[in-house]
Amino acid sequence: MKNIVIKFLALFMLLAFANTTAGASEHEAVAKASTHKEETYVSKPFSEMIMGFLKDTGVVALVNPDPNELSANGEHMSSFHQGLGRVIMILITFFLFWLAIAKGFEPLLLLPIAFGGFLANIPVANIAGAHGFLGVIYNMGLSNEMFPIIIFMGVGAMTDFGPLLSNPKTALLGGAAQFGIFGTLVGAVALSHYGFVDFTLQQASAISIIGGADGPTSIFIATKLAPELLGAIAVASYSYMAMVPIIQPPIMKALTTDAERKIKMTTLRHVTRLEKLVFPILVLSLAIMVLPESTPLIGAFMFGNFLKESGVVERLNDTLQNALINITTIFLGLGVGSKLAADQFLVPDTMFIMILGIIAFSVGTAAGVLMAKLMNLFPGHKINPLIGSAGVSAVPMAARVSNKVGMEYDRTNMLLMHAMGPNVAGVIGSAVAAGVLISLFQ
Amino acid sequence: METNLVMEGVKFMFLGMGTVFAFLIIMIMAINLMSYIIHRFFPEPKAADIAVNTANEQQDKNKIVAAITAAIAHHRQG
Repeated sequence: MKNIVIKFLALFMLLAFANTTAGASEHEAVAKASTHKEETYVSKPFSEMIMGFLKDTGVVALVNPDPNELSANGEHMSSFHQGLGRVIMILITFFLFWLAIAKGFEPLLLLPIAFGGFLANIPVANIAGAHGFLGVIYNMGLSNEMFPIIIFMGVGAMTDFGPLLSNPKTALLGGAAQFGIFGTLVGAVALSHYGFVDFTLQQASAISIIGGADGPTSIFIATKLAPELLGAIAVASYSYMAMVPIIQPPIMKALTTDAERKIKMTTLRHVTRLEKLVFPILVLSLAIMVLPESTPLIGAFMFGNFLKESGVVERLNDTLQNALINITTIFLGLGVGSKLAADQFLVPDTMFIMILGIIAFSVGTAAGVLMAKLMNLFPGHKINPLIGSAGVSAVPMAARVSNKVGMEYDRTNMLLMHAMGPNVAGVIGSAVAAGVLISLFQ
Repeated sequence: METNLVMEGVKFMFLGMGTVFAFLIIMIMAINLMSYIIHRFFPEPKAADIAVNTANEQQDKNKIVAAITAAIAHHRQG
């Protein structure tokens, strides 16, 4: 009995001790917290709290901006770019939403870009700054050119080189369309030479690559040569790519005769699996020998295509074509959108970039069509010049446009597969052109 | 030093278009060579082989039909 009592007492004391120590530590914690609070928090009258809160609202920040607020680049902004400019940019992003949703203009990229632009123009929150999430995304994969490369892998996995392999000479059309890039480059430097704008040679090159009609390549070059123009270049590139069905047909019709538009092309021969498997390795080897500067883009592209054609890594192929490219598209779009901040986009340069971009597109289209007409002067199978316009990349939209215009004149003339040849050659061509531009500035 | 930017641009244009065309022409020749080699030395199974296979399959089918007919006949007898 005595034993039990002693045990009970001992247990009781143990519990009591534990309780007091726990209580003590709790007290200490509370004390610490209160002293911590006392350092930062000063009791204020309620009216003052409301006033302070109201001063922090977005409305005040837009109407009466803080002159000390820094842009995402850590520079001072004019009050126009802090106030009205942001409102204008947000309205522009609403316009882009409308284009993407109601008009179906490249919604996969335009929506993330536009929403990124919407977020980047929020005052105070500084989402596009180095520590905001858009800034983090930008630094994660855009400033180091990672995302465009991953997109290129996915595009490679989606590309079928069969039409090109069965009629290789149509690759020349894809080369001619790159004249859009270099012709515009001359135009851009001429503009700055005669004092309309102040573009450096690097900036002019980055702008003219819009003529390659290839989104990832444009972004790749812009981040390398002129990161300050990235937002305008990407928006111009993707919005013109979306407008291919509007921009191209008038040019194609103006440069061809009725008889030319009705040319029927011979059926494509069968391409064996081994040819398709060897092709990516072949092109990459050529790129290594001729122009190593172009191998980041061509290498990623051919990696994706090789996985697809190998036929033994269906899981990886599927991931490249779907999951990976979708995830990267989201990040790429938001990252590009972060460059739509008013202080970087609402500048006179943007207008010139938009104008030069559409000139680049039109010149590329025209050059492709004219090249097809030139090739028809030589003996051999005749080429329908309408597929020349597909030489600007914009896969597969440009090829579909060729097909559609061809069928307007002859219901039975299916040009789609013929146009895919120059179309994919255009991707290779713009990657080579990008490599040339990079190597020139090394 | 005042460099003539327009002249620079024209130089870029010739160099760039030259490289793009040179690359694509080499690529076209390489594709043609590759196709020739592959068709010459590694042809895909020819249509005749496939025809033989289908003929074999037809024979197999006939055998199966014969077996089933025999089984049915046997069943009816029994």
